[in-house]
Amino acid sequence: MSAAPVAISVEGVTIAYGEKVIQRGLTFGVRRGEVFVILGGSGCGKSSLLNAMIGLHRPTMGRILFGGDDIVTAEGADRLRLLRKFGVMYQSGALFGSMTVLENVRLPLDEFTDLGAAEKDLVAAAKLNLVGLLAAAGQKPSALSGGMQKRAGIARAMSLDPGILFLDEPSAGLDPITSAGLDKTIRELSRGLGITFVVVTHELQSIYAIADRCVMLDARTKTMIAEGKPADLRDHSDNPYVRQFFLRQAEPAAAGSKGSQSS
Amino acid sequence: MSTEATARVDVRDGPGGGAVLTLRGPLDVETTAAARADVAARLAARRPASLEVDASGIDRGDMSGMSLIYELAEGRLVPGVRATVKGLRPEFQTLLSAFPSGEALSGLEAAPRRGRFLDQVGAATVSVLADGRAQLAFIGAIVQGFAAVVRRPRAMRWGELAVVFEKAGVNALPIVSLISLLMGLVLAFEGAQTLEMFGAQIFVANGIGIVMIREFSPIFTAIIFAGRSGSAFAAEIGTMKVNQELDALETMGLDPVRFLVVQRVLAGTLLMPVLAAYSMVAGVFGGILVMFTMGFTFSQIWTQLSGAVGVHDVLVGVSKSFVFGAIIAGLGCLRGMQTKEGPNAVGDSTTRAVVAGILMIIIVDAIYSVVTYVLHI
Repeated sequence: MSAAPVAISVEGVTIAYGEKVIQRGLTFGVRRGEVFVILGGSGCGKSSLLNAMIGLHRPTMGRILFGGDDIVTAEGADRLRLLRKFGVMYQSGALFGSMTVLENVRLPLDEFTDLGAAEKDLVAAAKLNLVGLLAAAGQKPSALSGGMQKRAGIARAMSLDPGILFLDEPSAGLDPITSAGLDKTIRELSRGLGITFVVVTHELQSIYAIADRCVMLDARTKTMIAEGKPADLRDHSDNPYVRQFFLRQAEPAAAGSKGSQSS
Repeated sequence: MSTEATARVDVRDGPGGGAVLTLRGPLDVETTAAARADVAARLAARRPASLEVDASGIDRGDMSGMSLIYELAEGRLVPGVRATVKGLRPEFQTLLSAFPSGEALSGLEAAPRRGRFLDQVGAATVSVLADGRAQLAFIGAIVQGFAAVVRRPRAMRWGELAVVFEKAGVNALPIVSLISLLMGLVLAFEGAQTLEMFGAQIFVANGIGIVMIREFSPIFTAIIFAGRSGSAFAAEIGTMKVNQELDALETMGLDPVRFLVVQRVLAGTLLMPVLAAYSMVAGVFGGILVMFTMGFTFSQIWTQLSGAVGVHDVLVGVSKSFVFGAIIAGLGCLRGMQTKEGPNAVGDSTTRAVVAGILMIIIVDAIYSVVTYVLHI
């Protein structure tokens, strides 16, 4: 795995909203075919980083390279070509409410391929089958549960078989069995097809199940504080906050301050 | 994305009148449409009794590509001939296994069933009746909410009432002024053209007075109110419904009607007559301006106007506005509370609030006209 070439290279990225800096100095590489997890506490900027990587939010500094092309500066046809390299599953699923689930998954095929209608339906149905949602193909998104909407969102992200999939909190809102099934699907797609996954999550079980490597962001220092394999970080990190995160322990400082207030 | 432009397709004779199809190169989202057309054309020319697919040469593939293999294997591309697929790499077999069974697909491909005409008429009738029932129940809930406020005035959120007055009333004055003034101008010009033939242009004052005060001002103000505020009520409450804020109110033991609807309906009921009265003045003023240009003096116009328009005309116009205000505000809130789930839900509620509001205004106005005609008011 370590010999795999880098699929996405994040170099010196600073993310800010106006004057407010969310994260700075982010530098890491996502290797081809690996499942790379962006993790960190709530509000640390995981989703902001994801938005920067998929070109929705422009970093104030740095480069984000997909095979040498920088999505930060890409425009016009170059940008469109870059966008075709990856699919995105949004936290809420972000399905189009006026279309059925099947039509949602088929939309990118309609827009970007020359396949016939029956073939597009077939491919879309296969994607839905992958996420266990074929039975709901004819339903509108509003008729689906939150978990099902996420799964449909994943199916749509995979519609054009992109080499890279970005998943924003994929297992949040799913029951443990479905969540584990989804983790398995991610592993299979990654192992079998060499799809590169960039997953934003803070679900520990999911992280251990799927992540080859991860990067951890910290809201206090406003930068990345760890990069590596989850088990290594849990067992060998020098940073107590990182170990605390992986061992799912409460904030000692907060507990202490509560104690001092009450005394 | 592709380094190679197309998949290479080759067909040769196989044993027993069959054919062997060899696929090589990339078979992915970029190349499959062309490869499929190529395969279909070659096989159609041969009409083989059996088919073997040599897929060992496929070096890049995805699910779009595997859809072609699936169609061949399932006999969907060459009807009656299910191909035997050999040499497919394990990673592509993983993809192929994701394709659903033929049975699951046949359910998917069944034409969407539309109800029969009579079913649709029945469903629409039930829907209309259910809506009527919901409206009656809602009126009951509003009355209950008002009763609660009368018993305990602190239960009314007076601050929000003031906000509604400002948004729906004060902020609406410019548009009401403009539309009413222009309506007065238009009425006067149109009336003057006809009356000029009889040398009776002075009666333009009668027309403006009666039409603006009894009809146009209440109606146009109500339509503006429905468009600006009825829709806003539906959107505000609809968004709250989507965000589960209404559920939160209920579980806190607060009545959403008393909490959200009562002040809006009260504001609408009190605001509309004021807006309508303001519109009457603006509209008549517009007409007077036109009459000035025709050479009439203010005293002439005023004498004619006061002779034609009585207090009862003003009362008819103002009393209509009370009813219009209550209807529009109530329907706006009702549609908001009926908001369903989904991204279009709030938009749908807003549309329904405006359409239902305007429809009810016209219906009530027609009833008013009949009643006032019969009673000679």
